[in-house]
Formats: sequence, structure tokens, C-alpha cells
Amino acid sequence: MRYNPSKLLPSINAVPGNHRKGTLMKKLCIALCSLLLATFTQAANLDWSKIEQQARGQTVYFYAWGGSQEINNYLRWADKRLTQQYGVHLKHVKVGDTAEAITRLAAEKTANKNSDGSVDMVWINGENFKSMKRYDLLSEAFATDLPNWQYVDKSLPVTTDFAEPTLGLEAPWGTGQLVFIYDKAHLANPPHSFAAMLDYAKAHPYKLSYPQPPSFHGTSFLKAALLELASDSKALYQPVDSQTFAAISAPLWHYLDQFHKVAWRQGKQFPASGAETIKLLDDGELDLAISFNPNEATSAQLQGKLSDSTAVYAMQAGALSNIHFLAIPWNASAKEGALVAINFLLSPQAQSRKGDLAIWGDPTVLASQYISGSAKNTQLFNAIAEPHPSWQAALEAEWQRRYGH
Amino acid sequence: MKTQTKWSVALTTYSFRLLVIIAICLSFAPLLPGLGGLLLAAFGYIPAIGQHALSLTGLQQLWLWPGLGQSITLTLFIGVASTLLAALFSFSILQACWRRRGWQHIENLLAPVMALPHVAFAIGFAFLFIPSGFGARIITLLAEVLSGATPGISNWSLIKDKYGLGLVLALTLKEIPFVLFMSMAVLKQLNVEANLRVAQSLGYSRAQAWQKIIFPQWLTKIRFTLFAVMAYSLSVVDVALILGPTQPPPLAVLVWQWLNDADLSNLGKASTAGLLLLLLCITALLSLRLGEWLLTRKWRSWQISGRFALPIVGHSAITVTLLTSLAILPILTLWSLAQRWRFPDLLPSKWSLRFWQQEWAYLWEIIATSAIIALISATIALLLAIILHQHNAHSRYRVPRLLIALPMLTPQLSLLFGIQVASLYLASNYYLLVIWAHAFFALPYIFMALDGPWRSYDQRLDKVGLSLGLSPWRVWWQIKRPILMPAIWLAWAVGISVSLAQYLPTLMLGAGRISTLTTEAVALSSGQDRRVSAIYALLQSLLPFVFYLSAIIASRHCGALARRAPLFAKPLAAKDSVKR
Repeated sequence: MRYNPSKLLPSINAVPGNHRKGTLMKKLCIALCSLLLATFTQAANLDWSKIEQQARGQTVYFYAWGGSQEINNYLRWADKRLTQQYGVHLKHVKVGDTAEAITRLAAEKTANKNSDGSVDMVWINGENFKSMKRYDLLSEAFATDLPNWQYVDKSLPVTTDFAEPTLGLEAPWGTGQLVFIYDKAHLANPPHSFAAMLDYAKAHPYKLSYPQPPSFHGTSFLKAALLELASDSKALYQPVDSQTFAAISAPLWHYLDQFHKVAWRQGKQFPASGAETIKLLDDGELDLAISFNPNEATSAQLQGKLSDSTAVYAMQAGALSNIHFLAIPWNASAKEGALVAINFLLSPQAQSRKGDLAIWGDPTVLASQYISGSAKNTQLFNAIAEPHPSWQAALEAEWQRRYGH
Repeated sequence: MKTQTKWSVALTTYSFRLLVIIAICLSFAPLLPGLGGLLLAAFGYIPAIGQHALSLTGLQQLWLWPGLGQSITLTLFIGVASTLLAALFSFSILQACWRRRGWQHIENLLAPVMALPHVAFAIGFAFLFIPSGFGARIITLLAEVLSGATPGISNWSLIKDKYGLGLVLALTLKEIPFVLFMSMAVLKQLNVEANLRVAQSLGYSRAQAWQKIIFPQWLTKIRFTLFAVMAYSLSVVDVALILGPTQPPPLAVLVWQWLNDADLSNLGKASTAGLLLLLLCITALLSLRLGEWLLTRKWRSWQISGRFALPIVGHSAITVTLLTSLAILPILTLWSLAQRWRFPDLLPSKWSLRFWQQEWAYLWEIIATSAIIALISATIALLLAIILHQHNAHSRYRVPRLLIALPMLTPQLSLLFGIQVASLYLASNYYLLVIWAHAFFALPYIFMALDGPWRSYDQRLDKVGLSLGLSPWRVWWQIKRPILMPAIWLAWAVGISVSLAQYLPTLMLGAGRISTLTTEAVALSSGQDRRVSAIYALLQSLLPFVFYLSAIIASRHCGALARRAPLFAKPLAAKDSVKR
């Protein structure tokens, strides 16, 4: 890899293909963004044809959550395409939790294994990214140098990950929004705020719940609820202060104290994950399921996981939104292969397929003019930004202290 | 001529000793870095996150974690209750059924039931007993037919209940076949029939004779099996994730969660908890040993005071055990073919082959990988176990059974981080590491499965062979091996099924290079899609079953040394150990 920040602009313009589609304004915008980023991250200028050459024949071990067969099948497709087009094999290492990859990298760091590592690529965001960044488990910045970076929709918060600047250390892959799923045949008017949710639970006891924190969906539920319930939500975008934490978070605990009394299993038990709430909705145990994919209901219907009368909605105030990313560890053995794979996954072709409701339905991070097929129809809800990341650990710890035992 | 024989004998002896030493090194070497790594990390030496000084931060973090006390109590309750229940029910099953009408069926069914891996069992068990599960569907249907009203879904669930009752029940049901299987060899050594005849001639009823005479002998001989059950129940992660309580979860699950926490500063807490789990395990095993000592040595007046006998529930216990386990396979098959199957339908409303079709192309590779690793590692472990047994049978310096059992009795979770770090310094051939780890964890089970047969082997046969001029090697190959072959086949199948069920070692040492049915099944179960999970759980159960079946067939075909060598026919046929 050659480092030459000054050459960044030409490299973007030199990419063959769609730049004639963009307006001058847009080009300027991209250039400006890239320039800004370049100064922040000292991004390298990648000699892309050389990288593609080196990548040929490499096998990329991609550590990603393996719980969803739709996603697994999508990655199988990506592997086929990458093999055909670039001679790169993408091997999906199915993990129950991405953090397993991070523990593995920690072990490699302990053993001073600074090259030929076992992980070439990870699917991360939030806490996992923060942790990898903090303990120097990531490779140098690369995202803005990818040829397909030009298609990325820069109006999305693609350069911050849960308020943590990405500095090009990870490339955006998809968009998540905290949404709820309900069955129209069973429930005409689902609760559109957390306050209404409590009223609903009181009227229909034991039919609502949320995944147990510190699971990803569970903590997100807490954050979204506090954003609505707190008297001043601005405080949540500042780092947590132990002096004021109790006062700011008090409405949430007051709310949960009441909610748990009428929640599923009376709050003595919680679903383990967002996926489990979907199963429980289908089983008729819950009236609302939680997901981070605004297309979840449609895609689950096509897979036979939910009945055709289910639909997705977001809270009136909007949906807690974040981006999920792809990153390369510092000791990856197939770095070039990983770059080629990530670049491919950011291509309009791969992103359109990812957004296809019958395939996965994960909303794209590319500007919509590059997207084709049913992925184009995805409507995002009004976005609510993630609070400052320090709130996550604080809320999880307090939840554990109050309800976790 | 004579010196030559001497030399060759000496050579054989030394090369055999060398083999024993290699066996010991190969099988116990991983314990050292495992324990070392655990201790270092527990006391704050974690270079990965820049901690190089020893400290007690991990302990402090663990101590301050709310719910620690409850989690410890829960862990102990689950471990102790499931072990005691499994032992109690197994014994009452033996008392009620051993060598009576129907025993042959039970013996035949044990292998397929034992072959069912824990994860597959847990997935099936959960679907039987959750409030929208198959059990509830049958009750709902009955209620509809009888009263016309559809009852709502229960808000209480046996699965993941607060006190771990569902987990205890599942572990008990899963371990009973294992204890029974191990008891078969023990009872064959004990000469049960003769014992019973004597007791009954003294006027004791059959039940009294079983409980006062057979039980104490059985308990001492089944010790290591119960240790294995106890250690497993205390440290199980995958089953506890599916069936166990969550507020708080058992300690092993906590260790797993912290070890896999995105926040690496939790590594210290995780390691300290891993150490605590190890200590809990040691304490529990010692208490079990103490209990056994009290019952059989210290307070044994119950054996001679009066003629009471506890009522037995053996028949119901075996029925429930076998029914639950056998109900799981058809339910998994149904799920793998279902497109839509909602509560309270008894059968899927839409069927589909798509999940099989989608997976078909990828299944073969995974099955082949799983089977090859299992075959190689079980064969290595089998050879090592035979070497160790041969050594122990003839040498004054025996390898202690406790040492051999250690990999089975130590919580895997406590060892693996250290082993993983150590493995990174070694060769980076992931297959080699995984095979080694599987052999390491399978060895104690194989050793235990061979223990009974080896003990009941009549040493006089060796002496006869030697005195007739056969070399020690030929005595082993032509006399002992053929007699023990049925047991060797079964032990091999046990080893294969242990290897097939390994999740953590495959994942952590294989670095994701190696996908087996078990790693796929566990990864998929996190997504809660029952249809795809069912495919993998089903295959995960069928593969060991195939090996058990082959082992049983093989053992029936090679067992009759008596048939091939009429000279030995009479005295051997009288021995229980070679009856079949």
C-alpha cells in the first residue's frame, strides 16, 4: 500500500464509470468531504489496480454475525461474484456475536501476532468499533480511498459511528433504524410513543417486552425511551456525568418500574435478542417485535417468518438510527483481498441486491440514484441520532443493578 | 538368540514407555498454558489491553457486579440438582429394569439417545416446553375439544425460568442415558445376579437388595461419570443460553458474555469469573466425593438397619427420558420442512423444501469436515486411551485417573483463552490444533468408557498366553484385543460424538477456518430461525447416530472371540463381560 495523501483527489476522479452522472455541485461536495477527511485521517492513496492484482487468489475471512440465513445467503452470493470478477474468495465466518472476533484479535495482540492474523474483515459498529479503535486493533484508514466511495450517500452520518469519528478506519455497509413490527390483523393502532406503549401494556398486560440489555436491541430500546422521556434530551448528546446521571435517567427507571409490572413474564424475563421478539410476535406471545431493519417485516414475510398482515412502524418522534460498517484488523493476512471485497460490497450492484426485500432488505448507504430494483423503494423513517456512546455503558450498568438479578 | 529376545523385549518395553510419555504430554500439555493464561489474566496481566502489572482490578469488578451471589447460588443449584437427579433416576431405572423384560430395548435405545448432541436436545426441548411449544399446542387442542374455549398463552415458562428448573430438567434428562450407559459396564463387573441371590436368600426383597447392596458398590464405581456430569452441568454455556435463566444467568454464561464483550476492559473480570468457576467446580466435585464417602463409609448404618427401601420410579423415569429425547427428532424434522407453522397449529400450515435446497450444496462440505475431524481425533484419543489403560494395567507407576479426567472436569471456558494464546505461538495449522483439542477433550470420555471392560478383563488369560510362549504384543493383539473389541468400538463412537459436539474449541482454535455442524448450529441458533436451526440440529444428531450404529454393528460382529477360538469358549461365556 502506498501512502500519498496529496494524490487523493485525482484518484477519485480517475475511477472509471459513473462520475458523469453526478452534478458539478455533488462532485464538489464529494471532493470537499474527501479533502476534509483526508486531512483528518491521513488517508492513503491506494494504487487500486495493484491492489486488485495482489488480491487475486486471496481468501478473505470475514467475521460476521451468522444468525440470519438471509444474510448468510447474501454473503454466499457475494463470494461467488468476488471469485468470478476478482479471484477473491470471501469466506463468511459465522459468529454468534461479532465481539467473538474482537476477543480473538485481543488474543493475537497478546501473542504479538502482528501479521498473518486470522481475521481479515469484520462487520461492526458502536461498542465494537470503539473498542477496536481504542486498543489499536484496526488497520490504517482506507474507506475514502475505495473507488466505490464516490457512490456513498454523504448526507447519511457515514463518518461517525455512534458519535465516534470513523476516520476512514471502517467503511459504511448499511443503515439501521430502530423500528417496531406489529400484526395489523391483531392490532389496529399500535402505540406510537413510549408513553402510549405503557398505556397499551396496562390495558393488555404481558404482551409487550424488549430484548434484555446489554443486547444491542435492548440497549437501543433504553436509549430511545430515555430520549423521549428525558426532560431535556440534549444532555444525552454530552458525555455522561456521574453527578447528573441519576437525575437525567430517573424518568426512564420510573417508566420501566411501571412497565415491567405489566410486561411479558412480568419483567422477570426478557427476550434475548431482536430476532427472538420476532419469533415471539409470530408465536402470539408478544404484540410488538423490535428490529433495526425498516424492511424487516416484508423480508420476514417473504421468508415465512411472519404473517402477511405484519407491518413496520417507527415512533412518532422518529427512529433511532445508526450505520453499520466493515473494517479490517491491523494484522489481517489478506488485506488487499479485504479491500477488494469491501469495495465490491459498496458497489451499486451489491448494494441493490442487499436492499432487495426478497434477499435481505438492509437499507443502502449509497445515494439512491445508484440503486435499482426493490431496494430503491425503501423509505427511511425520520432519524434520531444516537446519544453519546458513554451513555450506553452507564445505562446498561444501571439496568443491570436495578433489574438484572 | 536369547540375548536377541531380551533386547527386543527391552526395546518393546522402552518404546512402549516412550509412547506412554508421549500420550501424557500430548493430552495434558494444553492444561498448563490454559491454567497459566487464566491465572495471569485473572490477576490483571493482559498485554492486549495494555495491562502489564499484576492487580486485583478483575476481582474488584467481579465483586461489585450486582447479582454475582445469585449467579453463584444458581450455578451450584443447577449443577448439584441435575447431577443428583440424574444419578438417582439412573439408579432407580437400573433397579427397576436391569436385565428384566424390556431391558434389551432400553439398551438398544441408549445409543441413539446419547448420540443426540446437547445443543440439538436443547433446541428440541425448548420447542416442546415453551408456552407456544408443542406441549402447549396439544393442551390447547385438548382444551378446545373439551371445553370449546381457546385458552391464552401462559405467561409462565419452564424455559429460561428464574430458578433454572427447565435447565435442571433438561440436563437431568440428557445425562440419564449417559449415566446408564456407563453403569452397564459397572454392573457387569459387579456380578449383580449373584449379589441379589445371596441377599434374597437372606430374606431381603429385591428393592432392598438393590438399594443396600448394589447401590454402594455402584456409587463408588460410577464416581467419575458423576464427576463428569457435575462438571458439565456447572460449566455448560450453549445449553444454558438456550434454556437457562437470564436474570442473572449462571456463572459460565456470564464468563462467556464478558469474554465476548465488546469492551475489552472486561477481560479481567471475565478471567476472574473463569477462575471462580474453576474453584466452584473443584468445590462441588469434592463435595460429591465427600457425599459418597459419607454414604458408603462413614454413615453406612442405613445399609444394615432395618428393611426399608425407597419407592422406585424407574419405569416412569426411563419412559420420560426416552420419550422426550425421541420426540425431539420428528419435531426437528417437521420444523426443517415448515414454511409457516404458527401457534396453535399442530402441523405446519405451509410446507417447503427451500431450506434444505438452499443448504444442500453447502452441507456436504460441512458434514465431511465434521466427520473427518471427529474420526481422526477420536482415533488418536482411542489409541492414547488404550496405551494409558495398558500401562495402568501392568505398571506400578500408574497414571492417576484424576489426571486423565482433568480435561473433562475443568470448565472448558476457563482454559480456552490461555490455550488460544498459546496456540498462536505454535504452528498455525488450524486443523492440527482443532484435532488436538478435540482429542484432548475426547480422551477422558473414551478412557472412562474403556475403564469397566478393562477392569473386568480376566488377567489370567494374559498369563496363559504368555506362558504358552506368545510375546506380550501378540497376547494383546490375539487375545485381549479381540475380547475387548466390542467395548473399543463403543468407546470410539463415544469419542466421535464428543468431538462432534465441540463448539468452543473448534471456534477458538480453528479461527473460523473450520466450520462444523456444531459451529453452524450454534451460530444459527442466535438468529432464532427455527427452520434452518432445525436442519443443522437434525444433522448434528444424525451424524453421531450413524457412528454409534456402525460401532454397535461392528461390535456385534467382532465380539465373539469365543466363536472363533473354541478353546476359550466355555470359561469366557461364563463371564458377564463377553456375554455380548
